[in-house]
Parts: sequence; structure tokens; C-alpha cells
Amino acid sequence: MEIDLADLRKMHPRLPEDLALVMTGRAALSLQKNGHGSPVAIRLDLEQAASEGKLAWPTSDPVQMDQHDNKRLTEDGAEAVTLALAHRAYGWRIVRRMQQGESADWLLEEANEEVCSRIALEVSGVARGSIASRLAEKLEQVSRVEDEDVDQQWVGVVGFEEPVAALQSSKAVQT
Amino acid sequence: MSTDLLNTLVTSAIWRAEQLDEQSISSALAWAEVSSLEEKLAKAIPGSQPEGRIARRGAVRAALKAGDIERARALVERYVAEKDATRALKTALRQLLDDDARSLAERFRHAANAVQDARELARWLQEGGAFGLAA
Repeated sequence: MEIDLADLRKMHPRLPEDLALVMTGRAALSLQKNGHGSPVAIRLDLEQAASEGKLAWPTSDPVQMDQHDNKRLTEDGAEAVTLALAHRAYGWRIVRRMQQGESADWLLEEANEEVCSRIALEVSGVARGSIASRLAEKLEQVSRVEDEDVDQQWVGVVGFEEPVAALQSSKAVQT
Repeated sequence: MSTDLLNTLVTSAIWRAEQLDEQSISSALAWAEVSSLEEKLAKAIPGSQPEGRIARRGAVRAALKAGDIERARALVERYVAEKDATRALKTALRQLLDDDARSLAERFRHAANAVQDARELARWLQEGGAFGLAA
């Protein structure tokens, strides 16, 4: 699977343009900070099935690094990668961002001719090291929340040191 | 204004308010903007639909984050009175007010009663107008 962050706005027309640019820029800086250049090989864990993909992004000038908070670089960068992966893998599109206190960061929809399914997506990023414990922690967090307003609850975690992106349903914890 | 545009605007507004919070910069105005957009979404989408419920909770939650307890209370009263409000939504909305009151009492343990009294007084003045003439 090939993912190009330059297409993020095309994948998610409801994502504000300025926000898409900032998120993509932060993903670029998080990857470049770890010595990666576009495109890079990325491990994709979709529902625990691992595959190899390619991740491309518009290069960002590292001089701009000082304009960004380190935590935001990782978290917003992870959101760009996860949202792009969610669209490429499952065709999901953003409906809106949700406030803290709701069941997740993003409300997405999977729309086809017959049904419209609502997906709550919680996203997190890991600047260095493995994503395994963060993924387990987020899945545990999401599985504790009962949300009658969504049909599915998912977690996306991105690691930037050894590029990896995981997308997992909270059902993985419940079963 | 279309719901698509409102969803885009509320996404931007929430994101901006969160960024200010993380930098410990005053975010009350940003959350007031979020509350206003969520209220517009709530007007456009009935409470019988999931996105309508998310917007109603969002309008109240953001009003509380903006420090506007009176607006939050008024919104809860309005949404709870709606014909299609589910029991879960009513519970969630009241819970938001309760949680806010509890968090305030914990933050200002020694002044909790005074803060509560001040809120009640503010409410009384708002409802009754100057010298209680509107009551």
C-alpha cells in the first residue's frame, strides 16, 4: 500500500486545509527528525495483519522545527499518518474532530450506497521506540468507553523511529 | 450554513482551543467559539441522530471550558426539554454539569461554598434582572 500525505485533504474533504497542512508538516518533521526521507518503507499493522507499505510526504524545512512543540510534532504527525491510512485501507472519511471527554479524537464515516457506519478513532504517536505498549494502553482506554453514538471504536498508533502505523478495532480487546 | 461546513469549522475551532490549552494560554474565547459552532450543529441535526447528540454534548462541554456556567446550564435545560432527547443524552448532559461542579469544589476546597453561592447569585441576577425587577 502506498500512502502519500500530500493527498490528505483529497482523502478527507471535511478536514480544514490549514489543519491538513500543519498535520502533514508535523508528520514530515517527525519522520525527518528520525533520519527518514520521503518515501520511506513503513510497517502497516491492520487488525494485527502486518504488511509493508510506502509512505511519502511533502518535505518540510527543518529550520521550522523550532515553531513546533515536540509533543504536538508527534501527536499531530501521527494523526496525519493514521487518517491517511484509515482512508487508504478502509475508505473512511473524517466527519469531525471530537472534544476531549468524547470517546475518541475523530469521528469518521464509512459510507456506501446502503449503510453509513460511524467510527470513533483515537490516535497517538510515539517519537522513539516501540508502539506496542502505547497501542495496548489506548485499546484498553477505548474499550472501557461505551459510546452509543458510534458503530465502531478504533485506535491508531504511529511510530516514527522505525516507521510503523497500526490500526486496530477495540473489538480486538473485547474478544 | 451546511453541516459539512459547520463540521469543518468546529474541527478547526476545537483544534485551536486544544493547542492553546496545551501551551497554557488563555483559551476561554476559543472554547466559546467551539460552543457556538456546536450549538449551530445541534440546531441543524436533531438529537435523535448520533451527530446531533455529539454536538449537544459538545456545546455544553465547550461552554464549561469557556467558564460560562450560565450558558452551559441554559443549553442543558434546552436540550433536556427536547422531545427526541434520549435518556442517555439527558444523563450525559446533567453529568457534565455535575462533573464541573465537583471539579470546582475539588480545586477550591476551602471556598467551594462561596463559589457555589456566587454562581447562584449570578444566576439569580441574570434571571431576575437588576433589583429582581424582571423576576
